[in-house]
Amino acid sequence: MRTMRYLALGLIILTFLVACGKKPTAEIESAQSAVNAVISEGLGKYAPEDEKKLKDALSAAMEEVKLQDEKTFKNYDKAKQMLAEVKKSAEEMKASLPAKKEEAKKNALSAQESAKSAVNEAKSLLAKAPKGKGTALDIEALKADVKGLEESLTEVQGLIEKEEYGEAVTKANALKEKTSGVSSQITQALEKVKAEKPRKR
Amino acid sequence: MLLIVAILSLFHLIFSIGCSNNKTVPPEAILAQQQEADLWRAEAPSYLPDQYAKYKESYNQAQRNLLRINSRFPWFRDYRAVQTEFANLLKQGEELNKILNVEKEKKAQSILDQLRELSNRLETLSNLTLISHFEDISRINLTKAEIVLNEAKDLYKRKQFLLSERKLWDVETYLMEVENKISSILNRYRDLNLILKWKRWAKETVEESREKDIYCVLIIKSEKRLVLYKGGKPIKHYPIGLGKRSWLNKRHAKDHATPEGRYRIIGKNPRSKFYKALLINYPNENDRREFSNAKKKGLLEKGTTIGGLIEIHGGGHKGLTDGCISVDNVYMEELYSLVDIGTPVTIIGALGEKNSLSSILTNIQRSRGQENTN
Repeated sequence: MRTMRYLALGLIILTFLVACGKKPTAEIESAQSAVNAVISEGLGKYAPEDEKKLKDALSAAMEEVKLQDEKTFKNYDKAKQMLAEVKKSAEEMKASLPAKKEEAKKNALSAQESAKSAVNEAKSLLAKAPKGKGTALDIEALKADVKGLEESLTEVQGLIEKEEYGEAVTKANALKEKTSGVSSQITQALEKVKAEKPRKR
Repeated sequence: MLLIVAILSLFHLIFSIGCSNNKTVPPEAILAQQQEADLWRAEAPSYLPDQYAKYKESYNQAQRNLLRINSRFPWFRDYRAVQTEFANLLKQGEELNKILNVEKEKKAQSILDQLRELSNRLETLSNLTLISHFEDISRINLTKAEIVLNEAKDLYKRKQFLLSERKLWDVETYLMEVENKISSILNRYRDLNLILKWKRWAKETVEESREKDIYCVLIIKSEKRLVLYKGGKPIKHYPIGLGKRSWLNKRHAKDHATPEGRYRIIGKNPRSKFYKALLINYPNENDRREFSNAKKKGLLEKGTTIGGLIEIHGGGHKGLTDGCISVDNVYMEELYSLVDIGTPVTIIGALGEKNSLSSILTNIQRSRGQENTN
């Protein structure tokens, strides 16, 4: 009779332990999908360190799950807690991402606007140059240069549309620098044309 | 009593075993975590992917072992083995960091060299396209190349060497396109058969001038020069301006090319839009034959005409024409007064294998060769 009691008690304890040791599949899926969601939103572009921290935390949680998987008496409480923290972090990062994106976009648009103004200024200068047959070679070359500037400006727009804001800022700044050089060359060429004009018919 | 003493002794033994071992997470584990983050920040995965992957695997294994120990009952935690593992990992990381710094220095130097090399090539091509027109696309690409080069310089300053290097590949692509374009145009200035033909035309023109003791005009495109002969001797040299595609032989209307061949002056216009003008007989018989052949072969678009009205006119040697030859008004005045209708005008590409345009090709190939050896 006493043996039967011990057996029953043992079974109860075993059932309790097995019940506690159920693999947290739903929590894993939930944490993974939260991480994937924020990464696909572009976390790596705007906060690469956060992305690494998040991935590392998820890996650590998965290691904890793996460790418990190998045990006879499994206890996933810690893993569940870690997964919940990962999920929470991912959601927080996702919530703060739009503000980061907006800030990066604002910077890109500002750099684009600045480059655009410089290109428009160069175009206005060039509009004063003589046109058609007999146009000086350097002015003809500068016209092509301005076309190149305009094409690069289109590339900046393309980068902004693709949400490559950092790259757009770098290109816009480089474009502005080149445009300044082209504008100086246009001014010099126009002055040269002006100086040479009286010698022609 | 004896039993109580035995039990107490056993507890003491258990406690002393538990307490004598290292019960706290080893500091090496925390340092390794910091080190791994630093290596990642320093772009080790991009610079040394294989070595970093090996390091990362060791790091993960050490973390797994630490986790395994941490999951034990506190009395049974023994960190000594994992502490050694983390200490070894730290050494591995330090070694990796040293290699990484060397690699980064190498990369920085290589980018600096490439920046110099590409800047020089860009400057050479830019100057070349300023003195000679090689299609708008060349200048457009050079402008874009310079913008990307500026981006590469900016990224280099910010120590983003790998991104800078990627930009340099784009610069290289743009420059190659320009160089290929220029080479395809200028290759004919190294074509021995063509050069022999040009030389023969020039020789025949000079002979005609000598035999008949008349004025003859020789126009050499590669030198952008007009030479006036009298009695077989050069008496005047004028700088000239040519068309946008002057380096090509004129094939049809609106191709902006300057014809090559033996022509004659067939008209004089004292009131030209471009000061004064001497009209030549383009298209001549040969031009018509070539045009007809090109049309038969389907090389020309439907409705294309052969064109005409090719003149030597004033307006200045710095202007771009649609295929005509322009000289400064003061020289035009002189030329106009010296030559009459019927004066032979020969237009050639170059007088020899070694001409200014074939040298440009050689320079382009040399700079590419240097680039490849670098």
